[in-house]
Amino acid sequence: MADAIETKKIYLKVFRFNHETDYLPYYKNYEVVVSQDEVMLDVLNKIKWEFDSTFSYRRSCRHGICGSCGIKVNNRATLACKERVFDMIELFGNEMTIEPQSRKRVIKDMVIDKKDFWDKYNAVKPYMITAVDEHPDSENYMSPHDYENLKEADICVQCGNCYYACPSVEVNEDYLGPASLAKTYRFNFDTRDEAKIDRLDTVNDLGSGIWDCVKCYECAEACPKGVNPIEKITYLHTQTFQEGRAKSNVATRHAVGFKTSINMHGFLDEGMLVAYSEGIGVLKHLPEAFKMFRKGKIAMPWNMPKSKNLDEIKKLIKSSSSAKF
Amino acid sequence: MNENIPIHEYDVVIVGSGIAGCSAARELHRNGKKVAVITKLHPLRSHSGAAQGGINAALSKDDEIDLHMFDTIKGSDYLGDQDAIELMCTKAPETIRWIERMGAAFTRNNDGTIAQRPFGGQSKPRACYAKDRTGLTLLQTIFEQAHRDGVTFFDEWYVSDIIYKEGKVHGVVAYNIRDLEFAIFKSKATMFATGGYGRAFKVNSNAHANTGDALSIVARHGLPLEDMEFVQFHPTGLAGSGILISEAARGEGGKLFNSEGERFMERYAPNKMELAPRDVVSRSIQKEVLEGRGVGPNKDAVFIDLTHLGEKVIMEKLPELRDLALTFLGLDMIKEPILISPTAHYSMGGIPVNIDGKVRKSCSDFVEGFYAAGECSCVSVHGANRLGANSLLEALFFGRHTGESILRDLNDKKLSNPNVVFEDAKRALEEVEKILKSNGSEKIAKIREELQESMTNDAGVFRTKESLLRQQEKLNELKARFENIRIDDKSKVFNTDLQEAIELGHMLDYSFFIVEGALIREESRGAHYREDFPNRDDDKFLKHTIAFMDENGKISTQFLDVALGKFEPQPRTY
Repeated sequence: MADAIETKKIYLKVFRFNHETDYLPYYKNYEVVVSQDEVMLDVLNKIKWEFDSTFSYRRSCRHGICGSCGIKVNNRATLACKERVFDMIELFGNEMTIEPQSRKRVIKDMVIDKKDFWDKYNAVKPYMITAVDEHPDSENYMSPHDYENLKEADICVQCGNCYYACPSVEVNEDYLGPASLAKTYRFNFDTRDEAKIDRLDTVNDLGSGIWDCVKCYECAEACPKGVNPIEKITYLHTQTFQEGRAKSNVATRHAVGFKTSINMHGFLDEGMLVAYSEGIGVLKHLPEAFKMFRKGKIAMPWNMPKSKNLDEIKKLIKSSSSAKF
Repeated sequence: MNENIPIHEYDVVIVGSGIAGCSAARELHRNGKKVAVITKLHPLRSHSGAAQGGINAALSKDDEIDLHMFDTIKGSDYLGDQDAIELMCTKAPETIRWIERMGAAFTRNNDGTIAQRPFGGQSKPRACYAKDRTGLTLLQTIFEQAHRDGVTFFDEWYVSDIIYKEGKVHGVVAYNIRDLEFAIFKSKATMFATGGYGRAFKVNSNAHANTGDALSIVARHGLPLEDMEFVQFHPTGLAGSGILISEAARGEGGKLFNSEGERFMERYAPNKMELAPRDVVSRSIQKEVLEGRGVGPNKDAVFIDLTHLGEKVIMEKLPELRDLALTFLGLDMIKEPILISPTAHYSMGGIPVNIDGKVRKSCSDFVEGFYAAGECSCVSVHGANRLGANSLLEALFFGRHTGESILRDLNDKKLSNPNVVFEDAKRALEEVEKILKSNGSEKIAKIREELQESMTNDAGVFRTKESLLRQQEKLNELKARFENIRIDDKSKVFNTDLQEAIELGHMLDYSFFIVEGALIREESRGAHYREDFPNRDDDKFLKHTIAFMDENGKISTQFLDVALGKFEPQPRTY
């Protein structure tokens, strides 16, 4: 920390809307002086306390543990109380647009209706399921390794940043989304929980569950706590196979197709992978397949090259496989 | 405003959804009672989740319940009630194991048992922890299990009054923050678990929500508050913001240095050093600063050095703390010392309750159907100074215990049926209406800022008769100005302008109690330090203050005996 506190001026364009009185949202401009030790929540407070007390937002703990104050700054998800203003200036310059996590869910200014978020949280049985000894004289034993295997999923504060940043949620309202799936991981990888299979059956339907993640990593970027939801979703993919709960559908066959192809050639056979995943549906891809074939991107099955280390690769697959298909 | 207010009926209404509220709710719901929990946030946003360092229990073979009791009593500067302390410490191991069985993610020893770390004022490593986010895992767990069992939660509802008639509480009046629609919650039993009152101070570690609403709601009905002068200043708040750096930082080996590079705790607590209790360390830091040995841009902080722990230990045991110092100071504790100063942290005082959570009407009598637990209550297990990692224990244990006590009273038919009419909501409706119509000239934010600044300066770590009288005058001035506030937001939707005004009204009212208690208590004990009375005076003040406010805002004080026991008061040195 420098000996004197440095200040800068920022120019804000702030989303405003009150669903009771406004037909359309609008933006209001504010000029705010900020200092190096301030976070974005201080900026929200300044707008309310110095300029316009009708400005509304959720906030409580002011240090990144209650998850109330998720907003978007220049369309980037952030937890306002954990984001240094000077870091934002470094990233975006001194002009910033402040918006709620989701504009279509707005109630008032930064306050959004989180009903769908909480409904999906509730859908995955977000609690440990086990018979509770109400007066125990010992604890469950849990190794440090098993504790670490929760992989920080237990620090999710349900701020919703990942959920509202997820493009799959945006286009598919049935998709459970990264937060509730990270919560699923939290309990499904806890050695003390007894409802793993039940939860897997909830989260592995096509259209709403883990297979609808498009692996874009937006959730990992948006998370202020380092939970990394996509990593957790990937572990759930594996767990559905390990536990024999994977249903045969285009997504699971796609996953199995990868392994089959590598096991057969040591290389990925992209043509067969599509056929494997989609079955008869592969026919609709024939025009692309033809173009790809002409560019040498795919080979006919009988022309598919084989890796010269295929035996080694097969051994590797065998020793590293944790699931039966 | 709508006069046809809906009336919801429950066996029990619990206000506040932190650890204490959720544990009581779960207990009652499991035993067939119809329970509603009302919170102005979402339950998972409750401030219990911000607790970092740990929760105490004499779990290990080389620890003893009696030692935990003794440490707590000595830590309380002998003002803690020994019957309540004995109950809590005895039940601590079971309580920790119970929350573990429900899923709490504690850090583990190699043998799979729950890990424990040293904390200030404790004679053994006794704080069970989950890295440096113990409160979060406990809050999540108890909420999750209450939710699993089917407890009804009212999120983002603001409770603005109790219905108190003929010596009994008949429920509460609340409004939905989303649309300002009021409802009456009628109940056989009502429990407050609303948290602390640290927001009255400028430098504090508390959430925006910790405005002590319940205390003023209770006090405005002429019911007493206990030991309000005891506010804990935590020694290690981040300089400037006051955001907490957990005692785990000292527990894991953090060292304090002044501007001259001296490890100054040698002067104040030569045996315990940095691991002396919080009141002792806070005063030592403040003294260094006042004598000109502070560091930082305003020379109002000292250094805590953790660099010798190394990256591995810091990342494994204190990752959140490192993150906080990076966010709020731009300093990396792995590489450099960070700047800290005392911050208002915990409220030892509160709504007086007996060992079963029943709210007192006077020194000898109780209110029917009214209970409280957790930080908003004063039971009192912390006396004049709380030991680190005892607050989560208090919330979890006394939350559950109070739930059991309500259950017993319901089953024994000790609680008469509540009797509620629409007029009972009048006070609450009028308050909101009056504030919404305010078109004066005073800004809420300005009055609040002056309140917080003056409380920190004149009723903070060091107090004198002079400073307290000055603060009393200031409070009178602010209270008068509060009558002339201006509210710009007249909308019914998520009106936080209105809410901040109601909350400020509460902060002003309970601040009078803090100052009055501090004035009357002409001694220094635990967190309450009078420069003009630097010694503890057991003859006069080994007593709780029980204070009442009349309709004109005048406060009168009575004294209640401390429940003593096997540990006789002794001089308190560390």
